[in-house]
Amino acid sequence: MLIYLRKRIVSSALPLVVVIVGVFALARMTGNPASLYLPLNATQQMRDDFTARNGLDQPLLVQMADYFGGVLRLDFGQSLRTGQDAAAMALRAFPATLQLAATTMVLAVLLALVVGCWAALKPNGIADRISSFVSMAAASIPDFWLAIVGIWVFAITLGWLPTSGVSGAGAWVLPIATLLLRPFGVLVQIVRGSMVSALSEPYIKLARSRGAGELRVVTHHALRNAAAPALTVAGDLTVGLVNGAVVVETIFGWPGIGKLMIDSILQRDFAVLQAAVLLTAVAIFALNILIDMGYALLDARVRPVTVKA
Amino acid sequence: MKSSLTEGTAPETLPAALEPQNEKKDGKQDGKLSLFRLLLKDRFATVSALILVFIGLTALVGPALMGDLATKQNLLFANKAPFTLAHGWEYFLGSDSLGRSMLARLVVASRTTLSVALPAVAVALVVGSLWGVWAGYHRGWRENVSMRIADVIMSFPSLLLAVVVLYVFSPSAANIVLILALTRIPIYLRTARAESAELQSRTFVDAARTFGAKPNAIIARHVIPVVLPTLLTLATLEFCYVMLAESSLSFLGIGIQPPDVSWGLMVSQGRQYLQTAWWLSIFPGVAIVVTTIAANVLAAWLRIATDPAQRWRLALPRKRLIARIPAKEAQP
Amino acid sequence: MTSSSKPPFPAALLKWPALASVAVLGLSGCSVANSDAGAASSTTVRVVLGQEPPTLEACESNLTSTGVVVRSNVTEPLIERNPTSGELEPKLATEWKATTDTEWTLKLREGVTFQDGTPFNAEAAAFTIERAVNSKLGCNVEGYVFGDADLAVKAVDATTLTVTTPEPDPILPLRLSFLEVVPTSTSATEKVREPIGTGPYKIEKWDAGQKITLSSWDGYWGDKPAYAKAEYQWRSESSVRAAMITSGEADVAMGLSPDDNIGDLGVDYPNNETVALRLDANEAPLNDIRVRQAVNYALDKEGIVNSLYQGKHQVAAQLVPEGIVGHNSALKAWPFDLDKAKSLVADAKADGVDTSAQISLVVRSAQFPKITELGQVLQEQLSQAGLNVKLKMLETSQHLTYQVRPFPDDEGAVALMTQHGNQAGDAAFTVDQYMLSTGAQSYFGTPEFDAMIKKADAASGDERKKAFEDIFAYQNDKVVQFAHISHQTGIIGKAKSVKYTPNSSSGDELRVSEMTPAN
Repeated sequence: MLIYLRKRIVSSALPLVVVIVGVFALARMTGNPASLYLPLNATQQMRDDFTARNGLDQPLLVQMADYFGGVLRLDFGQSLRTGQDAAAMALRAFPATLQLAATTMVLAVLLALVVGCWAALKPNGIADRISSFVSMAAASIPDFWLAIVGIWVFAITLGWLPTSGVSGAGAWVLPIATLLLRPFGVLVQIVRGSMVSALSEPYIKLARSRGAGELRVVTHHALRNAAAPALTVAGDLTVGLVNGAVVVETIFGWPGIGKLMIDSILQRDFAVLQAAVLLTAVAIFALNILIDMGYALLDARVRPVTVKA
Repeated sequence: MKSSLTEGTAPETLPAALEPQNEKKDGKQDGKLSLFRLLLKDRFATVSALILVFIGLTALVGPALMGDLATKQNLLFANKAPFTLAHGWEYFLGSDSLGRSMLARLVVASRTTLSVALPAVAVALVVGSLWGVWAGYHRGWRENVSMRIADVIMSFPSLLLAVVVLYVFSPSAANIVLILALTRIPIYLRTARAESAELQSRTFVDAARTFGAKPNAIIARHVIPVVLPTLLTLATLEFCYVMLAESSLSFLGIGIQPPDVSWGLMVSQGRQYLQTAWWLSIFPGVAIVVTTIAANVLAAWLRIATDPAQRWRLALPRKRLIARIPAKEAQP
Repeated sequence: MTSSSKPPFPAALLKWPALASVAVLGLSGCSVANSDAGAASSTTVRVVLGQEPPTLEACESNLTSTGVVVRSNVTEPLIERNPTSGELEPKLATEWKATTDTEWTLKLREGVTFQDGTPFNAEAAAFTIERAVNSKLGCNVEGYVFGDADLAVKAVDATTLTVTTPEPDPILPLRLSFLEVVPTSTSATEKVREPIGTGPYKIEKWDAGQKITLSSWDGYWGDKPAYAKAEYQWRSESSVRAAMITSGEADVAMGLSPDDNIGDLGVDYPNNETVALRLDANEAPLNDIRVRQAVNYALDKEGIVNSLYQGKHQVAAQLVPEGIVGHNSALKAWPFDLDKAKSLVADAKADGVDTSAQISLVVRSAQFPKITELGQVLQEQLSQAGLNVKLKMLETSQHLTYQVRPFPDDEGAVALMTQHGNQAGDAAFTVDQYMLSTGAQSYFGTPEFDAMIKKADAASGDERKKAFEDIFAYQNDKVVQFAHISHQTGIIGKAKSVKYTPNSSSGDELRVSEMTPAN
């Protein structure tokens, strides 16, 4: 397992570089930030000064070499917008998103496992119909809309929760509820689908015929086999949350990495964007390694082959 | 425990997996008809199918029927409440903030929405699934490289892509399709890879291999049919995701831009009127939800209907389902 | 066959998810959510802004998001412009006069100290000007107010300062009102995120991403403000800002939209912003003045103001609103006359102008409330007049490539929607940029017009006023680069517990010292 882990980490280094190079090049395709940072009546001289001061007049390859040189010395550059260290800004914003994403996913997975299994026990039964309907509806409501309605209902009309911000436990409820619905809805569908298949597999019948209790059949045999697709999808959804709680962060004023990223994109704050992408990419790669290891543990049949490869 | 179970299952898996081909031969002539008959037996699926057909037709011919109704403004007639015929049928669903007919705008928006969501899902599904199945079947370096590429795409900020496209190209629907398709490929890629990797070690694939079948033939005949149901379920969910992603892009100001209109854009633009004219964002939102649910219900049904191991569930009256299970078990 | 009768999940299975989620919630709750909810009190005023200030650097305070926190709260200028009367008033300088054509002498206030204890004197004032205007720092205020010109500054004695301009500059005192004074201990080579000033409040804490707290400073030279603390938070959705007022989480909310339904908690104020279309006369069909006139006739300004902005904005006839030096109160907005517009277009067509050529209507998304709607209305109304208009909604950076020189040259005719801020208070800031034939935001001009503008810039007093009034009349009459739409009205949300009257500069300079508890 350790060998496998080491291999994976080594093989992740190159893609990481690819991501950064891609972001570096693409970001610079979105125009010179000079006009955003200088007054509208700035002279050409001032524009040139700005461009030169930030090294944007250099050829792309030279800029990139400079950047990677800096990265090796752990210097990720300065924010154009705030003048602060880009890495510091990204590191400060990241925990807020990570906590939000982790809490949301743990709740979503647990709820979805329970509801999905419950629905799968009697396919097309009442429970199945209701849970399908609810989960599909949950997964198909635009999150920003839900967030605004949530604020309206729970913060203004009922006064139970704060509208936004990060102060106090109450402030977590609306962002998490908003983020939760989609992963929950998707996972219920996936869990239900694979459980229905798994429960009709011959080995389940075998287990039943050997006299295993229904709970044991569901949790030990069926769930174990149904977990693989759920795990993949849950992983992908988590990646989506780490990368894209933008909307929720924007509305609720949550100081996370998604908000930082969209602001740096719109403000052409290249250094911060690169630092933020690098950080999330590392997190996503780590997450993917964890998912694959989870896989290997779940399914003994996959593991030996992967290690050989 | 685990290993003995696996060994115990192996002989039974073989006939089960070969079943689809027998089924195809037997049911070829009346396959379509019986599928239709099955559909009619399931009320929810029938309604869903009808809804989808209706939405499809709306997107196809609706905009032509509406003419310039969707763009005709009347500032003195803004934000009129829905559910009254007092202003004529065009304004049955109310008017928007510029006095345009909500009904007409919903109809016109349906075309944009579907012409973004359907191609985006289809492209991502086809590319991602084939790639994933191929990578998972072959394992080794092909799998590793593919997974790393998926990692790259997944950790790439799709918002940056959207801004690049907006900046370099124009904000057209086709470009949004491109972004959404590209960023969703890894989802199918990873799922298909996982399923296919698991399948390729199964006995029936081994058996096919020993009979000398070519890898591509095995993938096409043995792996894809088994993986497909999961992928299709995923695709219907993704269909909804893509519609939502498009609306999120609109919310952030980097999606479809006016004067084009999509349901997502309507929800996004209507959100500022939530307290003064709720219908501006509720109606397009309901359209998204209804379309998604209908697609999902139909997909769930289709998944069962095309799965020989489960098809019998649909053919029977519901009350007898449970009683039939032992009989089915006895069959093989 | 046991599946049907048994309950699917016993309590044991349901228990651990619940536990786990509580644990996760608990864990995550303590690290981000460590700041207490600032409760409503009579000692703290809570303000919610549209965005986090990128920096609080004093020499960037002409940026709205920075200035709204810093100006007149943390730092103060030498001279201050009264936003209501437009008159210049003493602040850290008590009097000023032009000693020669190019030299101004300022008398500075005595007994003022900075928040770090050092005294305010001519040396500090000179340092501030050197730092902001003459250095390599690249301060925003330098480009915005002073351009390339360097100023020669001299501290004659502790309370006397002379400022010499390369060219005669009748509005130097107004320009100086943009400079926020900082002590000599401030870095001259780097921008400073948290400045020290002479203002009534000092920066207590900046929780990046969450909030900024200002607390009143005991050594302030003027009257002690009513609120001991001011807390700033930021939310980008205006409906959320409004909701925070309604739910009692904030006392003052900036930049609300008429549809946020804030009711009587909303206070209107003229925000000195003017919306107009800028027409590119270098390309057909806008190269014909009749087409540009047709654009003006085709726009139903009254209808737009009444329907989109609930009658709160004012139909505009020029780029500067009332209260700005140079505003021509005799000018009338172009009437809405669709037939006239159509016939003008037809005339132009008859003379061989390609009136079917596409005009790109370039609009910046989210620039101000309801801009998307406004863009669509303008497109529709111009199309009614027989013009071929394509609406282009762009994000800020892209919009800027159209807004300032060098303009894109492969675009055909462009009608650009511009929101012009008049916070500077003098038409010179507007006219130089928007109307000179080489102006940063001007498509074209005429030699005669340029000469008028140059003359107005150098004039002073009533002569100056008259000169600019003539310029605005001339633009509407002979140039027609602009189709004016409206002078905007801003909305501030204000809780009942706070007494505050916003004025035309509140959006750029929110003076906490002017706020008092209502009871």
